[in-house]
Amino acid sequence: MVNKSWRIGLSIVLAVSIITACESETKQLPILGPTIIKNTVVDGALISDTTFGAIRGFKFWDQDSNVITENTVEGKLYVTDFFFTSCPTICPKMKQQMLRIHDRYLDEDKVVLLSHSIDPVRDSVQRLKTFAEKLGVQTEKWHLMTGNRDSIYSMAKHYVIAAQEDPDAPGGFAHSGAFLLVDTKRQIRGIYDGTDPQEVDQLMDDIQFLNEQE
Amino acid sequence: MNKNKRISLALASIATMTVCFESCNYKPKNQGRALYNQHCSSCHMENGQGLGELYPPVAKSDYVLANKESLACLIKNGVSGPVTVNGVTYNTAMSGNPQLTQNEISNLVYYILVELNGHDDSYSFKEVKQQLGQCLISQDES
Repeated sequence: MVNKSWRIGLSIVLAVSIITACESETKQLPILGPTIIKNTVVDGALISDTTFGAIRGFKFWDQDSNVITENTVEGKLYVTDFFFTSCPTICPKMKQQMLRIHDRYLDEDKVVLLSHSIDPVRDSVQRLKTFAEKLGVQTEKWHLMTGNRDSIYSMAKHYVIAAQEDPDAPGGFAHSGAFLLVDTKRQIRGIYDGTDPQEVDQLMDDIQFLNEQE
Repeated sequence: MNKNKRISLALASIATMTVCFESCNYKPKNQGRALYNQHCSSCHMENGQGLGELYPPVAKSDYVLANKESLACLIKNGVSGPVTVNGVTYNTAMSGNPQLTQNEISNLVYYILVELNGHDDSYSFKEVKQQLGQCLISQDES
């Protein structure tokens, strides 16, 4: 008898702990940047305050010569990366994965994709156009962008994505394969490996989450 | 006695399995797959399905089967200009892999033909050696 009630008690404790464990797991996405550090001196002591800013404005051109600025992504969630069309290493896999996002959100106006070419000399609008067509890209969903070389590299730096010209790297450029998820306030909410299908699954889950949250 | 026998039998089978695992890793298709993942899968994708109209498929590919004699040279020296694969024309230049050894290219060709295209495994390393010899000669002449 004692044994039985002890067992019942234990199962209740177990059940309650399982339920609360589930309940306490409310999903949250961090704000990853960009951060603004404000230093003030109060009574001779330095006080640093970190606040979150937004991704700054930009101006590039896509495969249909459309001007793409921060206004293009106003009120939208966007995924962004850096690549170049003649890249022989990680880019094709990144494009395969970006294409999955493109196909999944084709009818969801709130999601846009922005890919920056880090090889603006060779990646002309025409070349991006051909590339996009061969990939089966809808321009309004996925903007493959080129522009002023310095603007592109400083934008990469602003997103904290590694990108540089490197004569020793295959294709002449070295860059990260990261995808960034940026929210409607233009704050970075996630960084994913754009060559890894599982990380891109996570990215799409996070898009879903942000979309439902807003 | 019986117990000892069983233990030694178990040990023997573990030893055999270890030997098998070791040797299995050196099968041409396994090295071929590793080389494929390292050198080819970026563009031709993991299962060889290609990507859009940018990078042609190398799995279930009529081009691969029709050009099996020139695959070794193609892998070594690359290719440019339009190629038609399964009815689609592709025109993305492929860079060569001159650093690969003859054995590596043989294993790669084996993997692409047999594993990705269901070709019978009668393909021999000797053929690859001959082909590579010829493509190097024709390249020198041009």
